[in-house]
Amino acid sequence: MSSDSSSTSGGEFTNPNPSPNSTSKPLEDQFASAALTEPDNEPPEIQESPNGVANGSVGENSHGEIESNEREGAVGSNLEARQSVRWRRTNSEVEVEAPSSPSSSGYAGERGSSSGSGSSGGFDMIGGGIGGGDDEEIQEVSNVDSIQDSQASWMPGKRHVDEAKERGQRGIYYGNIVMIEVGVGNRDGEGFQCSTTISDPVMVVVVLVALVVAVTMVTELVDDASLSWRKRKKHFFILSNSGKPIYSRYGDEHKLAGFSATLQAIISFVENGGDRVKLVRAGNHQVVFLVKGPIYLVCISCTEEPYESLRGQLELIYGQMLLILTKSVNRCFEKNPKFDMTPLLGGTDVVFSSLIHSFSWNPATFLHAYTCLPLAYATRQAAGAILQDVADSGVLFAILMCKHKVISLVGAQKASLHPDDMLLLANFVMSSESFRTSESFSPICLPRYNPMAFLYAYVHYLDVDTYLMLLTTSSDAFYHLKDCRIRIEMVLLRSNVLSEVQRSMLDGGMHVEDLPTDPLPRSGTLSPHLGQPRDSHESLREPFVGIGGPAGLWHFMYRSIFLDQYVSSEFSPPINSPRKQKRLYRAYQNLYASMHDKGIGPHKTQFRRDENYVLLCWVTQDFELYAAFDPLADKAVAIKTCNRVCQWVKDVENEIFLLGASPFSW
Amino acid sequence: MPSRRRTLLKVIILGDSGVGKTSLMNQYVNRKFSNQYKATIGADFLTKEVQFEDRLFTLQIWDTAGQERFQSLGVAFYRGADCCVLVYDVNSMKSFDNLNNWREEFLIQASPSDPENFPFVVLGNKVDVDGGNSRVVSEKKARAWCASKGNIPYFETSAKEGINVEEAFQCIAKNALKSGEEEEIYLPDTIDVASSSQQRSTGCEC
Repeated sequence: MSSDSSSTSGGEFTNPNPSPNSTSKPLEDQFASAALTEPDNEPPEIQESPNGVANGSVGENSHGEIESNEREGAVGSNLEARQSVRWRRTNSEVEVEAPSSPSSSGYAGERGSSSGSGSSGGFDMIGGGIGGGDDEEIQEVSNVDSIQDSQASWMPGKRHVDEAKERGQRGIYYGNIVMIEVGVGNRDGEGFQCSTTISDPVMVVVVLVALVVAVTMVTELVDDASLSWRKRKKHFFILSNSGKPIYSRYGDEHKLAGFSATLQAIISFVENGGDRVKLVRAGNHQVVFLVKGPIYLVCISCTEEPYESLRGQLELIYGQMLLILTKSVNRCFEKNPKFDMTPLLGGTDVVFSSLIHSFSWNPATFLHAYTCLPLAYATRQAAGAILQDVADSGVLFAILMCKHKVISLVGAQKASLHPDDMLLLANFVMSSESFRTSESFSPICLPRYNPMAFLYAYVHYLDVDTYLMLLTTSSDAFYHLKDCRIRIEMVLLRSNVLSEVQRSMLDGGMHVEDLPTDPLPRSGTLSPHLGQPRDSHESLREPFVGIGGPAGLWHFMYRSIFLDQYVSSEFSPPINSPRKQKRLYRAYQNLYASMHDKGIGPHKTQFRRDENYVLLCWVTQDFELYAAFDPLADKAVAIKTCNRVCQWVKDVENEIFLLGASPFSW
Repeated sequence: MPSRRRTLLKVIILGDSGVGKTSLMNQYVNRKFSNQYKATIGADFLTKEVQFEDRLFTLQIWDTAGQERFQSLGVAFYRGADCCVLVYDVNSMKSFDNLNNWREEFLIQASPSDPENFPFVVLGNKVDVDGGNSRVVSEKKARAWCASKGNIPYFETSAKEGINVEEAFQCIAKNALKSGEEEEIYLPDTIDVASSSQQRSTGCEC
């Protein structure tokens, strides 16, 4: 494993000019210093390739390597190295969650458990059931080394790499050890990183026994459905604090009533001791808990995502539940602990499953920012003007969106819309089929705006992907909002906004191949625009690069901090299959978590090389840049390229961002 | 979707250790009995679907450990129970005497909204042992206690022979259901935005 990473928190990266307006000019200087201060003793990345060859078997080397053919004119030895790296890449793809292939499951495997009441056998069973069995399972489908390596390089952030490696190895050799990490409630700030052990041995036993029971419950469901249920890599559960199931991503909630009771027993018991269970690690599996008053949320996952990411996903699921019901369900539980919430959530399964799916493709779920559909400045202005018009007539928020991208949005004075609320609202609207067929008026709650109360949303699809949402506080505003919509629709048609939206959907946004090479493009007319035909940039490409953008740039994401918006480049080869996209997404998610790790961060820069990518992250007060390069990319050139990406984003910012309407600036 | 509207009933089984709580549950859910005694640790959870008056229910049965060292689990386990089953061994006076403690303890820890009318069911288990010759608690005595606690339904059962088990759980389901009948009213608020913006809205609607 020759993954090297460097980071700095020192003064030389501090943005000399933190005011939002000044973002455009000092970047070059900063990057110059970034390039200068980069350590010279970078381990030679070519070392990586012999390893790859040594680990790999020749047979598998043959499949799936069409891409390397495109590297015409590459130097022979370089090509060879590249191939071996490629092989490792395809190999480790197996670890990516793929619901369609049951063989890569986490839960599968024979489990010889008979009953949950075995006294001393309990501990062994945990190992055999959760830890050991799954190790075995993954060995079947992929190379354990590569998984452990990547896990080790990611887990608790850079400074703990050694410790992480140790942990990873423990996963292999002592798969039956269950690590319980409990954060003490009143020291929430320090939380989970300093994994407190439970001091009361009886308590540990009880928690473990409860886990045994959990495993037993799973094995006792013997029908086919439960077999496939166990094979799922990532489960989400919502339950009440009396142990009644509310939602399960897979399987019938009622059939999982025993399992849900087990989860409640674990959570409530630790709660009674004044503690809070945050995470239970069992072999490859992480069990993440989130307690929200009378509502318990649990994720069981073997996807190796960081704890912080999984917890953030549980937070969003809770938010989605609030969006549908508001926090006033808590009152029902206060009056009656037996309260059964499932009837209230009837028919919303698809909303939750769509949200959970977005955890593996939508960066908004961890960036906490929204993204805009690229549009000419004037077009977006025209859309904004008519929305502002209706907002002035008593509409709280007017939002025009195309799929999950914002065309324009406007809020009444002092009303601010959180990006997470937008994500949850858009998910609610897009996943509910009934919104597509007619104009609708529905109570919804924006949890970040006011979790206790309902707003009313008028929703209407203007074409197959474009929809308008008008939010109001008045439950009898339907006809007023309908009139507003008619006015808006007329203006949008007259000003060709809708046809521009269609065109933008077809053209896509920023393509890494179009990254301008000119380091000083601000000489007026040379400034590149998204609308330009992409062929015009072909000649500018650096000749030695075959795939992706200049200097092996494959993809990037740029998040503007004060706009609460991000822009992500279009996926292009070699990141062209959904599986590769999902893996890159996970890599970004890990990168984000390690950059924002409260224990050791926040960091300003990170450069990371593994067998899949070179990943580069740069965080300033104004923006965050995440970029993925070819794993053989040169570090200095990669840094320079990031500089150019930032400049490029600046140059086209009035097309890719919604300016002057930051939700928090009203 | 009326088919999705199923009710889940949480049933807690309490009683001294060794009176046959786990055996009753196994007899009811799996129709199996084992003579071997295995102490329950913490709690076991089983589910069973029941049909009652043309409606489908899921019984979520919490089989708790009888040993005193697990008493501290109480609050966590009892919360939101729809019915509580108290079990004693007709061949053990002490297990019968303790019913009172179990009932009190449950009412304190679960703190149901209407403790007077919370549904309990009492089961006198192991009536098969020694042909009834070792029996020390008479049916009369047990029924008298149940009557004094607000007419708790009483069943004499044998988990081993499967006597009265089905009937007892039918009654448990019925009583659990009765207690869950009062529907909760769920009435969220609507946001009340400051009057200034509302005035503005009426002003512009011309």
